[in-house]
Amino acid sequence: MEVGLTHYLLLAAAVFLVGMVGFIVRRNTLIMLMCVELMLSAANLVFVAFSRELGDEAGHVFVLMNFAVAAAEVAIGLAILMEIFRRRRSVDADDLNTLME
Amino acid sequence: MITVPPVNWPALLPYLVIGGGGLVVMLVDAFVRTLRKDHLTALTGLVFLGAAIAMIAVKPEPGPQLGGMLTVQMYTRFFDFLLLGIGLVTTVYGSAVYSQDGDYRPEFYPLVLFAVLGMMVLVAASDLLILFLGIETMSLAVYALVCGRRGELRSSEAALKYLLLGSFASAFLLMGAALLYGCAGGTSYAALAAVGGTGEGGPLFAVGLGLVLVGFAFKVAMVPFHMWTPDVYDGAPAHVTGFMATAVKAAAFGALIRFVTIALPGLAAHWSGLLTVLTVLTMTAGNLLALVQASIKRMLAYSSIAHAGYLLLGVLAILAPAGGDPGRPLRESAVVQAAGSGLLFYLLGYCLMNLAAFGVISQLGRSGGVEADQVDHYRGLSGRQPVAAAVLAVAMFSLAGIPGTVGFLGKFYLFEAAIRAQLVPLAIWGVVNSLLSVYYYLRVVVVMYMSDDQTEPFDGRNWETILLAGCLAALVVLLGVFPAAVHGLTSLAFGTMLG
Repeated sequence: MEVGLTHYLLLAAAVFLVGMVGFIVRRNTLIMLMCVELMLSAANLVFVAFSRELGDEAGHVFVLMNFAVAAAEVAIGLAILMEIFRRRRSVDADDLNTLME
Repeated sequence: MITVPPVNWPALLPYLVIGGGGLVVMLVDAFVRTLRKDHLTALTGLVFLGAAIAMIAVKPEPGPQLGGMLTVQMYTRFFDFLLLGIGLVTTVYGSAVYSQDGDYRPEFYPLVLFAVLGMMVLVAASDLLILFLGIETMSLAVYALVCGRRGELRSSEAALKYLLLGSFASAFLLMGAALLYGCAGGTSYAALAAVGGTGEGGPLFAVGLGLVLVGFAFKVAMVPFHMWTPDVYDGAPAHVTGFMATAVKAAAFGALIRFVTIALPGLAAHWSGLLTVLTVLTMTAGNLLALVQASIKRMLAYSSIAHAGYLLLGVLAILAPAGGDPGRPLRESAVVQAAGSGLLFYLLGYCLMNLAAFGVISQLGRSGGVEADQVDHYRGLSGRQPVAAAVLAVAMFSLAGIPGTVGFLGKFYLFEAAIRAQLVPLAIWGVVNSLLSVYYYLRVVVVMYMSDDQTEPFDGRNWETILLAGCLAALVVLLGVFPAAVHGLTSLAFGTMLG
């Protein structure tokens, strides 16, 4: 069987959905951050697949930029998580209730 | 082979000044030991002024830059000036707050500069890659700004909520960009317009577009992607909330307007139905929820959602003629011109009045770890601080759309354009909504002026903040009485984008 564009797109859709459902279902904010990373990876896969299909480098450039952005996002996310964990000893999303009215 | 496009340095100078200035401010703070907060404030102010001077002094040929990655024109320059102004005001507010608290927060200054850089790039984007990078540069800096009170749970929690939901939305935007890239064979707006204009994009193109619009909807706080807004606006320090309510929203709308008019002129027919529903929901939900808030920052958060609804009405008016007659180019229609310039004017006014309001909130200071947040904290403010009370009252009148203020004229231009675009029911609904909003804005004024003067703990005073907020309030009234010059400018600016 030849692995073609459709297969890559289906895989990417599956990974994206796993990330999305995980983000909504899980309450541990660390896991939620990882789920976002899954979704970003799925998008990267789509970029690379289309880039190969089209014979166009722009998709690869996009993916390289995404790596940098995702790394920065996680760095800030973990810094904020540490800050909260120090005070709360918990990274559970349900404990983030100081702002509820 | 990737060919390196020619670089037109004069056109990119403002971005380089802001970005380079951010790096300099960061490094100066790290290596110069004898530094005080005032030095950083002055340095940051100089960077903002330098960028403004670079825009006035160096006049490049308008047009696409860096091989069509971004476009510099009067439209983007209008937003650049607006964003620089907001950045400068936020810097002054912030440094006043931190000196009141006796807190040294050197990271605040470069973060504001980087956020403004991201916003300027976002508005100028002519390519999905730059759009994404602009949104992320802006958002990452703002996440960190929201967390601006170290060791305070409210601020950190707000930042985490914003970061989690923001990066969730960015993932949708990125997936959408990937699908659009595949369908259009390129990431530039021009490539999207070539495919989208014919309506032959296929289902993947439509899905991609939907996902990108979800990303935008989150940034402008459109219902049903608004859930983060009240918590984040409430938890962030007031000067940062002011920055988010004005600069982030202005930049996101600036980019959205460019995206829908340049990249998707032919697609309005398919999207205007859905967008109409979201516009009505955004206006109504924002206003209804604002009615019941006891916290002034949460009230302003819901009010910013409602204002996003009015602005979306303007976006619909831009799209409407193209939807009615897809064969006709957008730029020929006088309705589009009226709607676009109305939108820009409204955004400008919206930024002025919100910045004035948040200036007063932040200068009242903190007590027991919270800001002057409850409406009750403003009881009898007119007796204690007449100037601050007057500034806040002007801002509230303008937000409510009382004649004589810029808020009224902004709404007038927008609703008028909507009626000319045959969106009469929507325009009427907008007017009903803004009548509804008068109640909760004026409640603040009533509490300030008509209740007994009780001694409240919140009585911070800072002349820099109040002077600046006073100037903004004066501008609100001035533009409300003499709008012609500025309205002409916004009209010209929008015209350059349609080209």
